[in-house]
Amino acid sequence: MVIADYLLAGLVAMLTGLDRVALVQVMISRPLVAAPLTGLVLGNPLLGLEVGMLLELLWLGRLPVGAAIPPDDTQVAVGATVLAFSMGQMLGLGGMPMVILAVLVAIPLGKFGQIFDRLARNVNDRLAVAGLKALGSGNTNGLERRHLMGLISFAVSSLATACVIVLIGSVVLFYTAPQLIGAVRDTGLSLQYSLIIVGAASLLGTINVNRSISLFCAAFSGTLLVLWMR
Amino acid sequence: MKSPRLSWLTFLSVYFRSFLFQASWNFENLQNLGFFYLVLPGLRSIYGDELSTDVQQRQVTYFNTHPYFAPLIAGTILRMEERLHAGEDVAVDPDAYKKMVMAPFAAMGDALFWGGVRPLAALIGLLLASQGSLWAPVVFLILFNLPHLFFRGAGLVLGYVQELRAIETIHKCRLPDLAIRLKESTTILIGVLCAYLSFKGCEHQDISGVWGFVLLPIVLLFAWLSHKGVTSLFLVLLTTSSLLLLALLF
Repeated sequence: MVIADYLLAGLVAMLTGLDRVALVQVMISRPLVAAPLTGLVLGNPLLGLEVGMLLELLWLGRLPVGAAIPPDDTQVAVGATVLAFSMGQMLGLGGMPMVILAVLVAIPLGKFGQIFDRLARNVNDRLAVAGLKALGSGNTNGLERRHLMGLISFAVSSLATACVIVLIGSVVLFYTAPQLIGAVRDTGLSLQYSLIIVGAASLLGTINVNRSISLFCAAFSGTLLVLWMR
Repeated sequence: MKSPRLSWLTFLSVYFRSFLFQASWNFENLQNLGFFYLVLPGLRSIYGDELSTDVQQRQVTYFNTHPYFAPLIAGTILRMEERLHAGEDVAVDPDAYKKMVMAPFAAMGDALFWGGVRPLAALIGLLLASQGSLWAPVVFLILFNLPHLFFRGAGLVLGYVQELRAIETIHKCRLPDLAIRLKESTTILIGVLCAYLSFKGCEHQDISGVWGFVLLPIVLLFAWLSHKGVTSLFLVLLTTSSLLLLALLF
């Protein structure tokens, strides 16, 4: 991976990070989109799709309601894609096991996203005060400028999170991936599917619908029976 | 009733500004600057560049709602401001109206878009992704954004044209019921996805697909743990460490 690749990945980290709260919110921040997008700029969108698939459901049930800040699954997706790509190349390890290891290393580091996001919003507190002061002196353009400057806080916070995930993740993977890759390969599909299933279960547990368990059981049993009898 | 004064250009400007509505989200007053930024083209069109202190102050108070509902509120507020500028009476003060509707609309938007449309679109995308299709993100984006972008635009026009009656129209749309239907559909798709993965796992292990039912109580247990407040991170660490340990030992 060359410097230009890291810069492009950083750009994706900022764009997708902004989409979480500050800009547009068309959901390019979801792991299912952010990871393939990162993979695309690195020249391997399928690798990104695999990362996105593993991460999409994990925190989908955590709603960005009011002042609540969910873990930064966007930067986890971007960071894990960069890690799987760069460390896979560096260590000569590839395929799904490397993707799984990158995702497993990146997931806990998503907590940094919450810290940086909180800092960005604190910076915006000051911008809001300055914006109101500008408005008080009749300067509406000044308020507009302060409002838009909030984008910088969110973009920097996203980039910082992605950098921390890639930096710490690279060190961790450098020392652990060669030892763990065999065990991950031995688990076959179990480990890969377990991540999606934990996400599905978490979503099911937070969905708040009266008949959710019966609907889930009926859909699960019906589908499995149809697949089995095919 | 006085004929509408705002031009389509102003409407378009407010619509596009709604995409930057949360740019300065802050803990102190949440979306207050964002709301002022959103309605500013309309206010300038009504009052000109010199806004009175009264107008300024009532549009920068504490504000927090779902971002996709903000254009709906902005539309109503702009129509009210027009009426106030023309010396007409308004049933509710604009600031009081904002305070009255922001929380119910926030709850509706959270349930409909974050809790309903988004998980459903993600599940459909995920089912495609599990086949290795790169169309998965595209399909997800289309499924989510068709209602999203329509709602922003329609909300702005509805709020402006219907003013306070927009609340009644939204009420008639029964959005909370729609959110529940979407959540039920999501639950069904979670069942389909888990069953599919379970069956693929059995196929990979060369065992009968009926063994896939073993996964059912495991998912239910994890769902219960999640409902009780156990974090996804803990569940991931628990599952992966158990599987890796088993692989290392045997």
